[in-house]
Amino acid sequence: MSIPKEAYEALQSIVGSEWISDDPAICNADTRGGAGAGIRDLNAVRPRCSIQPGSAEEVREVVKIANRYGLPYIPTSTFYTAECAPNRDNTIMMDLKRMDKFEINEKDMYAVVEPGVSFSMLQAELFKRGLFTFVPGSGSQCSVLANHLYCGDAALGWRQGLAYRRILAVEWVLPDGEILKLGTRSTSDDFFWGEGPGPDLRGLMRGNRGFSGGMGIVTKMAVKIFPFIPEKLVPQGIGPHTTFQLPEKRLKWYNGRFSSLEQLIDAVYELGKCEIGLVVFHVDPIFGYVARARGKGANVFWEEWTKAKETIDVNQGWLRILLCGFTSEKQLAYEEKVLEDIITAHGGTVRPSRHLDETNFQSADAISANFAGRRFLSVLYFESVDHALKVGRDGAELKKKYVPPLADTYGLPGWYVPYDFAHSCKEESLNYGDVDDVAILGALYRECRENDLKIGAYPFGEDPNLFGPKWYNFHEKLKAIKELLDPNNVSNPPQPVSRPSGGV
Amino acid sequence: MFRLEDYVEDARGCPRCSNCKFIEHIWVKSARFARQCPINVRYKFNLYSAPGLLHSALGVLSNELEFSPKLMDALYKCTLCGACDIRCKRNLDLEILAVIETLKARSVEMGKGPAPEHKAVAEKIKKSNNRYGSPHGNRLKWITDDIKIATKGKMLYFVGCRSSYVHTKIARATAKMLNNSSTDFVVSEEESCCGYPLYSTGQFDAFQKQMEHNIEMVKKSGAKIVIMNCAECYKTWKVDYPKFLSKSTDDMEFKVLHIAEYLEELVKSGNLKLENRVNIKATYHDPCNLGRLSEPWYHWEGVHKHFGVLEPPKTWRRGDKGIYEQPRDILKRIPGIEFVEMERARDNSWCCGAGAEVQDTFKDFALWTASERLEEAKAAGAEAIISCCPACEELLSEAVNASKDGMKVYDMVEIVLQAVSPKNDSGA
Amino acid sequence: MQIKRELSRIVGAENVTNEPERLRAYAKDYSLGEVRLPNYVAEPKGVEEIQEIIKLANRNRIPVVTCSSGIHFYGNTIPSQGGIILDLRRMNKILNIDERNRVVMIEPGVTWGQLQDELEGHEAMALIPLLPHPLKSALTSHLEREPMLVPKFEYADALLTTEVVLPSGELFRTGSACVPGFPNESAADGVNPEGPGIDWWRLLQGAQGTMGVVTWANVKFEYKPKMNMSFFIPFKNLNDAAELIYRTQRRMIGHECLLLNNTVLAAILTGKWPEEYEAMKGTLPPWTLIIILSGGPRRPEEKIAYEEEALREIAIESFVPDLPTSLASIPGLEKNFPELIRKPWPKGKTYWKFGYKGSCQDLFFITSLSRTSEFTRAISAIASKYGYPLADIGIYIQPLENGRVCHYECSFYYNPSEPRDVDKIRNLFAEAAKTVLNMGAFFSRPYGPIADMVYERAANYTLVLKKIKGLLDPNNIMSPGRLCF
Repeated sequence: MSIPKEAYEALQSIVGSEWISDDPAICNADTRGGAGAGIRDLNAVRPRCSIQPGSAEEVREVVKIANRYGLPYIPTSTFYTAECAPNRDNTIMMDLKRMDKFEINEKDMYAVVEPGVSFSMLQAELFKRGLFTFVPGSGSQCSVLANHLYCGDAALGWRQGLAYRRILAVEWVLPDGEILKLGTRSTSDDFFWGEGPGPDLRGLMRGNRGFSGGMGIVTKMAVKIFPFIPEKLVPQGIGPHTTFQLPEKRLKWYNGRFSSLEQLIDAVYELGKCEIGLVVFHVDPIFGYVARARGKGANVFWEEWTKAKETIDVNQGWLRILLCGFTSEKQLAYEEKVLEDIITAHGGTVRPSRHLDETNFQSADAISANFAGRRFLSVLYFESVDHALKVGRDGAELKKKYVPPLADTYGLPGWYVPYDFAHSCKEESLNYGDVDDVAILGALYRECRENDLKIGAYPFGEDPNLFGPKWYNFHEKLKAIKELLDPNNVSNPPQPVSRPSGGV
Repeated sequence: MFRLEDYVEDARGCPRCSNCKFIEHIWVKSARFARQCPINVRYKFNLYSAPGLLHSALGVLSNELEFSPKLMDALYKCTLCGACDIRCKRNLDLEILAVIETLKARSVEMGKGPAPEHKAVAEKIKKSNNRYGSPHGNRLKWITDDIKIATKGKMLYFVGCRSSYVHTKIARATAKMLNNSSTDFVVSEEESCCGYPLYSTGQFDAFQKQMEHNIEMVKKSGAKIVIMNCAECYKTWKVDYPKFLSKSTDDMEFKVLHIAEYLEELVKSGNLKLENRVNIKATYHDPCNLGRLSEPWYHWEGVHKHFGVLEPPKTWRRGDKGIYEQPRDILKRIPGIEFVEMERARDNSWCCGAGAEVQDTFKDFALWTASERLEEAKAAGAEAIISCCPACEELLSEAVNASKDGMKVYDMVEIVLQAVSPKNDSGA
Repeated sequence: MQIKRELSRIVGAENVTNEPERLRAYAKDYSLGEVRLPNYVAEPKGVEEIQEIIKLANRNRIPVVTCSSGIHFYGNTIPSQGGIILDLRRMNKILNIDERNRVVMIEPGVTWGQLQDELEGHEAMALIPLLPHPLKSALTSHLEREPMLVPKFEYADALLTTEVVLPSGELFRTGSACVPGFPNESAADGVNPEGPGIDWWRLLQGAQGTMGVVTWANVKFEYKPKMNMSFFIPFKNLNDAAELIYRTQRRMIGHECLLLNNTVLAAILTGKWPEEYEAMKGTLPPWTLIIILSGGPRRPEEKIAYEEEALREIAIESFVPDLPTSLASIPGLEKNFPELIRKPWPKGKTYWKFGYKGSCQDLFFITSLSRTSEFTRAISAIASKYGYPLADIGIYIQPLENGRVCHYECSFYYNPSEPRDVDKIRNLFAEAAKTVLNMGAFFSRPYGPIADMVYERAANYTLVLKKIKGLLDPNNIMSPGRLCF
């Protein structure tokens, strides 16, 4: 199906001819997203045109035209998700990179961002002000706004929690083109708070897996930013050997080792109760091998990882802890002692680690996980710390029959990143394949999800049609809400009612 | 030999993470100067980026995509600065730049490229051995009486078209520096364009001819070291010549040096004294072809196995061994220079816009790219921007003239000459 | 009488009434709202009963107004169109305490006192607002997003997962509580509030019962510190106090942190009304910033030590001369104060908001700490206009989330038996609300007439909210007339 000439001309008059194109190469480049490619975009087709609105007003006008002519549209920024791949050929791809402005309110600790602002841009400006933001595991290049609409998870969430806790006021173009302002923005020009008024319509914005543009387009979002230390993180090195030198008296890494994951989990719970640390997570040993191979190549990684099979103990726990003296250096000294107390009490050992970081404050090495396989599909959960251990082990068991061709991770149960001082926790099982193994990754994913239903686990990124019938038929309600807000079904259909590639 | 088909796995392996559009995140110091891909910053569509071009390459190979007007536009606006390539290689093993370069060549093979302007340059090179079409006989006219050229020597100074015909002061300054350090060197009347304008526009057949000619010239001269002041020539000789010969740089019969490398050795060993004050607050612009793209070429033939493992293993060029510190070291030793660093430095350098002959066809875009760099220099507090490439100097100067903002633009050898020579000798 | 018979069948005759005396108890509260009688009061014991009542209400298009607390302040439980009062006080069980995940599952009828007492046995405390009434439902506080006294966490509310009867009568569970087998046979522990589908819990919060009936909720609790050190820092100037809050919060100092003017603090500390009140107030500075440093489970004294040192440094930098650890007028208070504010108001004692004149109207909103002075001046100007003594205005400022914003609460005390007083307060309140709304105050929890003002201004928000409400409650039976419905 094509885009009617009248529609195209109308779109062109909104953004100007420079910012719209139906050139086949432009459209072709917008056919495929990032994470989940080959798995979540099996029905991907080349869109009909690509447009770059420069403001919320232009976004709104484009959406209205899309509604008039029944043209699906999909908003993207980094486009690092396959869930934004078009599955209908008369789709308008709405690339929001031109909208890259942001403002920082230092005193009240929030930043108002447009979709084109990346984490590295924001983080660099925040560091100048003794503040920081929470850089996700997908990397600093990701869009701040889009990531907050997704899950926003990374190790820095030990104190700060997940993205749903970090969104303040919002300006949102609904699927039908109406503008909705949430939080303080609903009654004033301010962005400092996100709740309500009254029932909080932020509830419609992202759910448990983000809507991938299926519920309209958020054009401006205030996100929380957090107090940090006055000392600077000093960048060093030339890629691939870049890192931050941490101010040792205020930021310090530790490695904890336990002979069992159960001990580790117990320690994590107590660390949470004692409220110490800036980062706490159980690291999957594969990350260590990836880090050591960076700059040397996949060959080196595979050589070492293959040897590792003899020595890896899947029940052992490796904990990484970053302590931060927010209040003062003495806080760090205090937390060191408490850390030692706790880890020892739970049968572990702890020692300081190198005072460098290239992973958490600017997630520069996120994508290096692809060393272990050029395609990566995580099976993700955000629930309790105990839940993480259970589903991680189940996932490792289920994976066995898919190895090979999937990468052998020796039964390791993934990595756990607790949030909110161990009130909740991410579990991410690490499934690597090559470019041609995507179908197998998809099969493993589906099997994990079926297991989730059996054991009463709570996965991130659930397929509504698979889980809905067992989860109080939420899929019907979601469908009703989608129909209410998107009566013409043009906002990245069929999201979020179902996933375009059948549930993965 | 260096064909698009050799890089299919690299194109397929792109995870579309978009790291290639940003400088190394650890080094981002401000939002303003966080990005590094000129075409993506300017045009923003995903096609105008490494992932977009890689995806296009796959489309072309599978006959699902033609060389449409926008594809040609994106492809030929790409300055081949290599920022995407080495940024990707920070974490992954993918040859991004090779895909783009060979895609250009494919467009030429299929008769879609290059632009008429590029074809015209190719004609000029063919007829006159230089990019300008100026008489070949004038190539050595830059030599003045006070410059000593040896009749025989181990070192051949390859001047390059720009310095031979237009930026002759750079050629003179280079030659005088060599004289000053008592280094014997020869030049060749048979010198012909290095071929960069041909390679970078996908005209591989014509490039091959230039390469063969120039290598023969060196052989005839008996030189074992070829020294040059132009970053484009440097990278072409050091990387692209062995590439096209299916050899590694180290297997070539001569060594390729940039004047910055050589001068730094001289300065460190005390054989070149930087004594005169040069009072200027300056920053250094890393040319792409001298910095991140200048590592030796390692020839590799093999197969891609599962998970991207290569058989045999390959040595990857990740940009960390480029020529970054030598020019800095020299400049910082010159009394009077207040050296300031731009935010995007070394492997994070923002391309000046001169690469891949973009300015021949897309002057506005090239000037815009250069003006971005000037903004960055100003933000660093610099009064002058110094580089090691006449192409960079040329375009940056043009951008300064267009903006009328007074920033001075120099080649490093001009400044070094001031630091060693009697007053007022800048090589002009 | 058919309805009453049906209700009796569902909950038992002894748990249903339409006696005028009983109905009148629900017809008004401590707000300035109009008196409106319900038709029935029903007290269910469990979720199935609630479901049946809701379905009955739908069939007959009778409104349902839910309440859980034994006392109400904002008018949201007064039925504007008659109907059934669903009083959930019988559902008062603490269903589960999960020490590992620091989560407690409570029914609506659980009061703060009940909750805190139970958690005490687990070395824990829930994050309580400022001295809630002993009859106040803890779950309701969480649903209504009442501000907590501890701003050091990066969350301002502790609600996680819930079970809810939707306006259709359908049962639903929000967040990870929706998994099959929850809570006893599932891998999930009910700690993730997100989803399923949309973030339901957000629609239930601030809803004043219009989106369904929550039958239990999982809420967070935290470690209850055993060792504390309280500071009662006097200020003449509100801006100076706000600045100190900014600085200390930025460096994550303190457990509880709250700022009270002398009117409010005196009301809290007065033992005997009215004799002691004026004297107490006279001894207090205009503003008292209360910061409680608390030790953790391990090495508590060391934690307090480094925080105290940092607090003193900041005080010096901020030209704050005094950091008293006690109140001169109440020696020994510092020992008991943490315990005092970690519990609700004691039973049997006149509620601190009523001690002065019998009642008060609270005007509260969210704003930035830096604007608190500005709002205080504006409100004071209006109070003066109505002849309300400025010294009688109570102000409580609660920083939230490390000082990112604050809950600003302004109390106007008045005598509810004096009609002229009531009228004055009603008009003063309305004008003050309108003025601060125009100045940018954010009423995240709009009650009564404020809701009208807010939803008129937030036109598009109102439109979408109504659409959602229409979807979930097509017969508009849940608390009609509340918010914008």
